[in-house]
Amino acid sequence: MGGREAWRLLVTWDGEPGWNMALDEALLERADPRPTLRFYTWRPAALSLGYFQRFAELERAAGAAPVVVRRSSGGGAIHHDEGELTFSLAAPASHPLFRGEVRRSYERVHGWLARAFAELGVVARLRGDDAVGSDRAGTGMCFHHSTALDLVWDGAKGVGSAQRRSGGRVLHHGSIKLDPGALEPGVARLRAHAPRLAPAELAALLARHAEHEWGCALARAEPAPEELAHAALRAAHFRSAEFLRRR
Amino acid sequence: MRPNDRKYTKTHEWVKPSGDDVLVGITDFAVQELCSGNEGDLVYCDLPEPGRSLEAGETFGEIESVKAVADLNAPVAGTVSEINVNVEEHLEVLSRDPWNAGWLVKITPRSRSLDAPELMDAAAYEAFITASKH
Repeated sequence: MGGREAWRLLVTWDGEPGWNMALDEALLERADPRPTLRFYTWRPAALSLGYFQRFAELERAAGAAPVVVRRSSGGGAIHHDEGELTFSLAAPASHPLFRGEVRRSYERVHGWLARAFAELGVVARLRGDDAVGSDRAGTGMCFHHSTALDLVWDGAKGVGSAQRRSGGRVLHHGSIKLDPGALEPGVARLRAHAPRLAPAELAALLARHAEHEWGCALARAEPAPEELAHAALRAAHFRSAEFLRRR
Repeated sequence: MRPNDRKYTKTHEWVKPSGDDVLVGITDFAVQELCSGNEGDLVYCDLPEPGRSLEAGETFGEIESVKAVADLNAPVAGTVSEINVNVEEHLEVLSRDPWNAGWLVKITPRSRSLDAPELMDAAAYEAFITASKH
């Protein structure tokens, strides 16, 4: 019988916010034939706005964050500080991970996360028709606006996910809250169940579950030279005044 | 069966002659993939300014459902002559009538031929969609 599908695993700690977004763009556009799973953190802390989000919605929050960038994916604003881990998945739209309706791909990705979180004692599920206590109007924050496909636990949203689809490929990235900060009160947090959970430990747990979930073999790698070059070139774009104020 | 009066792309746009111009929209399949039949899930759309020059395959705008931002790609090269402002304000039109009222942009094409190999007729597009599900 066939072997496991080869996937690439990238881990980039403490990335500059614009660079983080630019490297995700490189993973979407540069078409390494292998699906790529990436884990990353942010330094300094930053606010990321959704692609169509109006900057004016967030001017107050933007003043509270050291750095502001805009994502190429949609949705609301996310505060990326030391209390979170960001993941991204990049593959062709025809790959079993992303094939079919957007809704189905979210069920797969969030199912993976939920089954991994269960090892930490977290009972996470898709929100469906339930109300959650993290929803609140008018903040512009992603974690304060839930949808049926969002992953919730302890009655609140704990993962903020979004996709960008371009050129027959999909980038799905998401913020997982270990401990949300002051800009995102009331959201779910993994450290309520695993108080000393560190981003690296969570990344290792998720990587192990990805191999089990999707029957893949993850090969730890560094970003390719052309991906690093793309990220270096495009980092400034994601934090530029022109892109931030496009809406 | 999808309309046979137009051609289709692998990225699920359609292109149809309209006088000297062509109309461009997205297919019901694209809409379904984005919003699973929930028309309220289509939230934003960015269309280009009239006068913009496009190459075939070039991204001319984006559409957002509650969970994904997807590119809109030009089926043919040409110049944008008009955009459907009504769709920008009422995205539910794309769910209800992607083939007529849901047109997105009108392009004055560089060539009036829609015979490029990248453009599929309705039967070929049906087969393409069927193959993509497996």
